[in-house]
Formats: sequence, structure tokens, C-alpha cells
Amino acid sequence: MIDYIIETENLCKQYKDVLAVNKMNLYVNKGELFGLVGPDGAGKTTTIQMLCSILNPTSGTAKILKLDTIKDAEKIKGKIGYMSEGFSLYGSLTVDENIEFFADLYKVPFEQRQSRKKKLLHFSRLTPFVDRPSEKLSGGMKKKLALCCTLMYSPEILFLDEPTLGVDPVSRREFWKILNDFRKEGITIFVTTPYMDEAERCDRVALLHRGDIIRCDSPSNLRRGLRGEMLDIKALPQKKAWNILNNIDEVLEAQIFGERIHVYVDELNSATNQINKKFFNEGIETIDLRKGVPSLEDVFVSAIQKNTKGIYVESEIELTNKINSPKQIKSKKINEIAIHTDNLVKKFGDFTAVNNLTMTVNAGEIFGFLGPNGSGKSTTIKMLTGLLMPTDGNAKVGGYDAKKEVGKLKAKIGYMSQKFSLYNDLTVEENINFYGGVYGVEGDYLKKRKNWVLNMAGLVGKEDTLTKSLSGGWKQRLALGCAILHEPSIIFLDEPTSGVDPVARRHFWDLIYNLSSEGITVFVTTHYMDEAEHCHNLGFIYNGNLIALGSPSDLKKEKFKGELLEIECNNPFRAMEILQNGSKKYQVSTFGNKLHVIVEDIDREIIKIEDILKDNRFQVDRLEEVPISLEDLFVLLIEEDDRKNRMV
Amino acid sequence: MKGSRTYSIFIKEIYEIKRDPYTLGIAIIMPLILLFLFGYALNLDVKNISTAVLDHDKSLQSRKYIERIKSSGYFDIKYHVSSYKDIEKLLDKGYIRNGIVVPSNFSKQIIRGLPTEVGIFIDGTFPPTAKVTIGYIEAINEKYSGDILKEILRRQGRDFDSIQAVKLEERVWYNPSLKSKNFIIPGLFAVILMAFPPLLSTLAIVREKEKGSIQQIFVSPTKPFEFIIGKTIPYALIAIVEMVIILIVGVYWFKVPFKGSLILFIILGTIYVFCTVSIGVLVSTMMKSQMAAMLLVLVITVMPSLLFSGFIYPIFNMPIFFKVYTYLFPARFFIDISRDILLKGNNIKEMFWNIIILLLYTTIIISIASLRFKKKVD
Repeated sequence: MIDYIIETENLCKQYKDVLAVNKMNLYVNKGELFGLVGPDGAGKTTTIQMLCSILNPTSGTAKILKLDTIKDAEKIKGKIGYMSEGFSLYGSLTVDENIEFFADLYKVPFEQRQSRKKKLLHFSRLTPFVDRPSEKLSGGMKKKLALCCTLMYSPEILFLDEPTLGVDPVSRREFWKILNDFRKEGITIFVTTPYMDEAERCDRVALLHRGDIIRCDSPSNLRRGLRGEMLDIKALPQKKAWNILNNIDEVLEAQIFGERIHVYVDELNSATNQINKKFFNEGIETIDLRKGVPSLEDVFVSAIQKNTKGIYVESEIELTNKINSPKQIKSKKINEIAIHTDNLVKKFGDFTAVNNLTMTVNAGEIFGFLGPNGSGKSTTIKMLTGLLMPTDGNAKVGGYDAKKEVGKLKAKIGYMSQKFSLYNDLTVEENINFYGGVYGVEGDYLKKRKNWVLNMAGLVGKEDTLTKSLSGGWKQRLALGCAILHEPSIIFLDEPTSGVDPVARRHFWDLIYNLSSEGITVFVTTHYMDEAEHCHNLGFIYNGNLIALGSPSDLKKEKFKGELLEIECNNPFRAMEILQNGSKKYQVSTFGNKLHVIVEDIDREIIKIEDILKDNRFQVDRLEEVPISLEDLFVLLIEEDDRKNRMV
Repeated sequence: MKGSRTYSIFIKEIYEIKRDPYTLGIAIIMPLILLFLFGYALNLDVKNISTAVLDHDKSLQSRKYIERIKSSGYFDIKYHVSSYKDIEKLLDKGYIRNGIVVPSNFSKQIIRGLPTEVGIFIDGTFPPTAKVTIGYIEAINEKYSGDILKEILRRQGRDFDSIQAVKLEERVWYNPSLKSKNFIIPGLFAVILMAFPPLLSTLAIVREKEKGSIQQIFVSPTKPFEFIIGKTIPYALIAIVEMVIILIVGVYWFKVPFKGSLILFIILGTIYVFCTVSIGVLVSTMMKSQMAAMLLVLVITVMPSLLFSGFIYPIFNMPIFFKVYTYLFPARFFIDISRDILLKGNNIKEMFWNIIILLLYTTIIISIASLRFKKKVD
């Protein structure tokens, strides 16, 4: 008989017309790091609130530490810690005051308080900022402070609701490191996240989709659950290739992942031969074909498809083909400049949000604008779209001056904000009509454009549906449709895919590709580094400064010297410490549940590192060279920039 | 009680208020603005009534009559016109509130000792002012007629000090100068303390709901009353400061008499403030957004305290249904208490029932608010 620390039985939560959580049965062991993974609206927050006994379930029971969440709610409180989504500290209170406030709430004895506070501040590297108001901390520091506040009173279970949403990769890694350090105290951690790489760090993961747990197991078991082996293929034209793959007997499953297709087969070699043969016969150009390592995202996508019996995804794939972009838009004009900024500056009081930004975006390009929250991304977009007046410098967008010709500029651009600016109480068609009115699209032209948007978003037949009852993916495509109703030549997308499930995210990127191939310039911000890989060019902004600019491949070549070794082993944090502090001090960082080591000569070091790990009795599952990812690169860039700033 | 949760919530709130000068500024400045606005603008005294005169007679007598009206101090003769049409026009345009017409035979009739008539055209859109105006003119006419009568009698050799048979001996109590500000401002104390403290306390709690920080409190072992008390005491303190400020301005700037006990006023005012603050807490348990909470507070506090409290419109004049309705809002009790202490100088005994009801009301509101406050998110 195992003593579960969290135990739910047929837990349900019904809101007016939505079943948010459906008959959930969940068991978490003491000391476990348990991840609840799913897109926005899957029911993550509802679940965590019910477990923290601040939300009563509609039916079913949940037991925390053997206490019932309804009857013994007050007994549970005080034994658990909870960091709500977007946890909110008191902005005007300093770091120290926030920590003290939470210590007071939980009546932490004064004797323990000082030593614990010191330890937490040290781990989170917040010691220099104790007297700073928390609202003046960066997004990543705020999250770390919030974690410190909840860890002040040594809770038995820690509930974290999307703790690293919108945080830069470096802070995210630090955050997980603190968590790992405190797991040694025996804390059980229950975390929700939309990031699959974070899910990889968990002992066990439950995949939540529309209120149902569709899979629950350890990440490695989940990956093993996928049938056969995986091939990672890039072939053109993709749609035709996908059709062919589906008709090959040996192919168990084929899924489109952005520009790649992931194919599951029983036996690698014979399947590869057969695919190559078929592709050759049908005139498909194979750009890349290799053995792939399935990620949790693959598991999730595959599970969603099975759960909905394939209908969900198939209909979306069909819809990508239906897109008939209007012919008025001229084909790509190479070398035409869409956006150009020259020493653009924006100051708010004595705070410089954007500092001497100079960059050029060519027409028809997908330009990815990356950076942690609060680094100046949204401010830049607001200046480029004429919503905010620059303090200094110049910007030209679509040939118009962003300072003087705002009116003309606005007619040329489309803008989709973080929270899709749709009216939830209007129907799909009413929303389109409204934006038609705003942009002066009317009459037959509006009719034509409306049909185009409905086709593109796959909303034909749903014209009279209230927007609020659409799922995240539909909403997002409708919002995109509304933003480009007037056929702008440049569109700005501000974190268009945050909080959308992986399947919908992929299809959204297919739409972006289509727009780009029609000659439309796409300026997009994102936190997902895999999305950044799909951009033609990238700009990376940190603390208001543009610290890197170029295409993904050029940036990797330029900014990264050396080779990257990926290690999969048990207890990666401990392994990292050993590698960092041995006779040779390696540059190691965590990457999901893996370790990345930067080395100069991989062939020589690979043996040494394997020896070190084996000497220390680690179980090494995998040790191989991998190409550097953008995430690795940006962690390097941020660390480099921080080092420079510390020196100054 | 250092170390208690209530204390740390209280301190946290004080820090937040201190570092957000806007809230504090609004809490202190807005009531003063309201006090000055109402103190000056809401004047029920009728004075300087703009007037046009049409004098068909143009004699010594008619001029004397018009001079009488002018010297009364209530009328501001702005226009001397030559036709009815002009009076009509001026009234239509709203340039004058009334027009006085002296007929062409005015002096002849008086000299002959015969009665004559003076015409008056009044803008009746606001009846109370119109009534007062008529009253003034009637009084002036009576005095003028009396003087003429006296003159006639004197000529006949009969001398009277006064021809008035029954003389009225007026004694106005509590507000002898009959200044409406002495009536308005003590009432305004009740209105202001009803408008701002609940707004501050409700926003303070709903803001934490909106931000989500309240969820951390819910998950902690903090008890509802610890949270409510710690959270609202700072705003009650601000409200008490507010009360003292408007009291000082009322007495020293507007020269409203203060006859009763200051200590009694402060004590009862403090009880009233706790009552209004807890109305704010009660609203915060029902609302999720600051906007909705603000609107609800305005509707249940400011509106009834202006209309159904006896602040301007006397309760005794209201239909029975509304008389009962006024008991639902504590402003009416404190308006009575405030006027009683300031103008009448009453003591506890004379205000006994108002005080008891106020105490009862406060207890009930705080209890309902505490019961409704659940540590749950829905």
C-alpha cells in the first residue's frame, strides 16, 4: 500500500457550460516532482486550485496529505505552498519586505527566519537586491522571489502554476536549479507548464487535454510508449510527401512538425529504403532524412490525435491547403526594405526601454524578435506600429516615417497583440465585420476577404459561433485573419502562439510561412526557441539593447565557437556540479532533463567526461554531439551580456 | 501586536499606501474638493435674482418703488426694458429669473388713493426659487403699501407707529442666520465619509483579487477576519484623518458653528467610519473586478446618501415608502447625529436611538462581510 501525498478520485469541475476537469484520477508520491502539462484552457489552473483547496470541485474528491480538500481545507493550508500563475508579489514592497510578509503569514519562528532567508536569497542570487521594490525586478527575478516567498516556510508540497511563463531561458534554468536544491529537503513538487522541455525534467508527467488526462507516466516511459522508431524528414512538397508516407505500409504514423515530418516506423532501415524509393518515384525532393529522438511534444501530439481519433488534426491539415491568398499581393520583392530603424530610443522617465536600436527587415521576410519579458520587445513593436512616439532616432515602416506619417503607416500594417483583440461576446462573423469597418474594408471586397479569412482559419460553418466558445487555436487564427483583413504588406505578431497547444502552434506557423511566401513581411515575437529556428532572421534584445542580429544559422556560426555535447544521465543536477567543479571546470548547463557541455575538441573530451561520470557512479544513457540550439545560444548571449554589465 | 498576522497584513498595507501617493492623495484631496464644491455651490439661499424692469409710468413714484426692490438686496436689476416682448425674450433665454411690470397709471392711482397693480413674470422651472421670489416681492409690496397707507393717514392727521395689527416676532433656533451652509456642511460630513472610505477599502481588496495575490492569502493559514481587519484598519485610519480634516475646514473655513462635544463627535464618527468601511468590505466579497466594485459602491453609498438621507431633501416630506427606504442607509443616522452635535450641541441622551441604530448597523454589516468572505476563488 503506497502512501500517496496527493490523491484524487473522479475529480470534476464544471463551470457554467464548460467541463474544465473531467473525472480526474491522479496519484502523486511523496518527494516526487510531478508535472501537469497542457495548453491554455486544458484545466491546469482549475486542477491546481482544487488541490490547493481554494476551489471546491463539482464532484469527486481530492486528498492532500490524507486530508480532504473540502472538509479539512484549513488544515491543508499552512502545509502547502502555492505559487499562482503570474504570482504576484506586492510590487511596491521590497524583496525583503515581501519575504518577511510571507514569513509572518506562516508564522515562521524568528530564529529560523534569518538563516533560511539568507540561504534562499543566496540561491536565487537576489541578495544584492533585497531593498529593491519587487516591481522593479526583471520578470525572471520576480519569479525567483515568488519562489523564495513560498519556500520561506518549508511547505510539504509545493504547487507551482506555470511558474516560468514568459521568463527568459537563463532565469528559467536558475529557477529549476533552486527547485532542485530544495527538493533535497523532501518537498513534493506539483508543477504545471506549457513548456515541453520543462516537462522533461519531471519524474512523472500527466498530459492534460481539455480536462482529460490522456497520458500519465515518466517522460522516458511516455516516449517509449510511441510505437516503433522515429524518422525525422524534411521533404518538398511537404503535403504530397505526407500523403505518400501515409500510404506506405511500414509507416505507423506520420505527423507534420512545422517544416519537418516525423514518421514512426517499426524497422528503421527497410522503412528508410522504402521511403526513399517512393519519394524518388513520385518526384519528391528529400532535403533531410535522419533518425530522430522523439520529444515529449511528439508524445503529446500523437496522444491528442489518438484521443480525438485523428479528426482534429486531419481537418486542420486540409485547411492549410485551402488557403488561397488573394492575388493582389505582389510576389516577393527581394531586397525591398520593409522596416528600417536607425538608433531608435525610447525612454520612460530615466528608464531606457529601448536603447539605440538599429536594424533592417527585408520585405517578405519572417523576422523573429526575441528577448525575455521586459526587455523592450513590446515597446519596439509599439513604436514601429505608430502607437508610441520614439524618444529619439528614426524608424521607417513600409516606406513611411513612424514619427510623422503614422496615418499612412497604419494602413499598410496589420497587428495582432498578445491577447488576441477579439470581442468574445461577438460571433465570428461579427468580429470580422467589425474589423472590416475599422480598416475600411466593405462591400464586395469585405465579402471576398471574409470568405478568405473563414477558409484560412477553418471557420467555415462557424460564422455564428460566439468567439468565446472557440478553442485557443481557432481564436488565434481568427485574430490573425482579422489583423490581415485589409491585406497589409507588413504584419506584427506579438507572442501569437503563447499558451496554444503544440498542434495548433504548428499550424499557425504554416500560416505564417504561407503569408511570407506571398510577399508579406512578418515581424513576430516569441518565447519558443523552436519557433525562432523557423525565422529567416532574428533580432535578440536584452535590457533594451539589441545583442544579436542575423539568420539562425549565421548567428550560431558567429556567436558560438566550440562543440556541444549532450548528456542524458540520472541526477543531472548533481552531475552538473561535479563537471563544473572537477579538475577541469566544464561549461555545463541543463537542457530539459539533459546536460549540455561546451567543449573545444569533442572527440577527446567525450571520453574524459564519460569517465568522470562513471567514476562517480552515474548511469549514463546517452552521450553525443548535438548541433547548438538557439536556446543554448541565447543562454550564452545573456550570460555574456550579464558578465559585461557586471564588469562595467 | 507585533508578530500576529493581522499586524503584518496591516504593515504591508501601510507600506503599499505610503508608496502609492495617488491613493493617499485621492483619499485626502477628493473629500476636500467635494467639501469646497458643495460648501460653495450647493447654496439653497436665494439671492441676487436677476431681474428686468418694464416701467411704463416713469414717474417719481414708480422709481421709488423700483428702488425699494433694488435696495432689498435680493434682486439684481440687470435690464430696463421697454416692452413685454423684451421680458419674454430675456426669460426665454434664461438671462433673467423674473420680470417686473409697472403700469402707466401707477403714480396717478397712488396719488388718487386708489389701488394699483404691479405685474410679475417668474421663471417657474425651479419651484423653490420661484416661491421664494414671490415671497420676497409680496413682502416688499406689503411694506410699500403700508408706507403709502401711513402717509395717507398722516395727512389725515392720524399718526400710527405701525399699521400692522399682528406683528410677527421671529426666533430662529440652531441656525439663526438661516445660512444654508450651516445645514449643508454637517450633512456633507456624513456624505463624504460614506463616499470615500468604502471605495478605498473595497478597491484595496478587489485589487488583490484582480492581481491574483489574494490566492496566496487563501492558501495560507490566514483566517478571514485577520485578513479583513489587517486590510481595512489602514483605510479606516485614513478615513478618520479625512474626517478630522473636513471637520477643521468646515469649522474654520466655512465657519459652521460647533456647539457640542468634539470628543463625542470623534467617537461617533469613528463608529460611522468603521460602518462605511465594512460596507466596502462587503461589496468586495461580491465583486471580482475593480470597475464593477466601484460602480456598486457608488450606487449603494453615494447615491442614497445624497438623496435618501435628509442631506438636502427633508425625509419628513417623502412618501412613506421612501421614508422606510431611508432606514436602509446609515448616512441618515449620522447626518442627524452630525447636525445635532454641531448645530444643537446635543448629548448622548438626546441622540440615543440614532447611536444605537448606527452601532447595530455596523455590527450587522461587519458580520455579514466576514461570513461572506470565503477563502475560495469562485
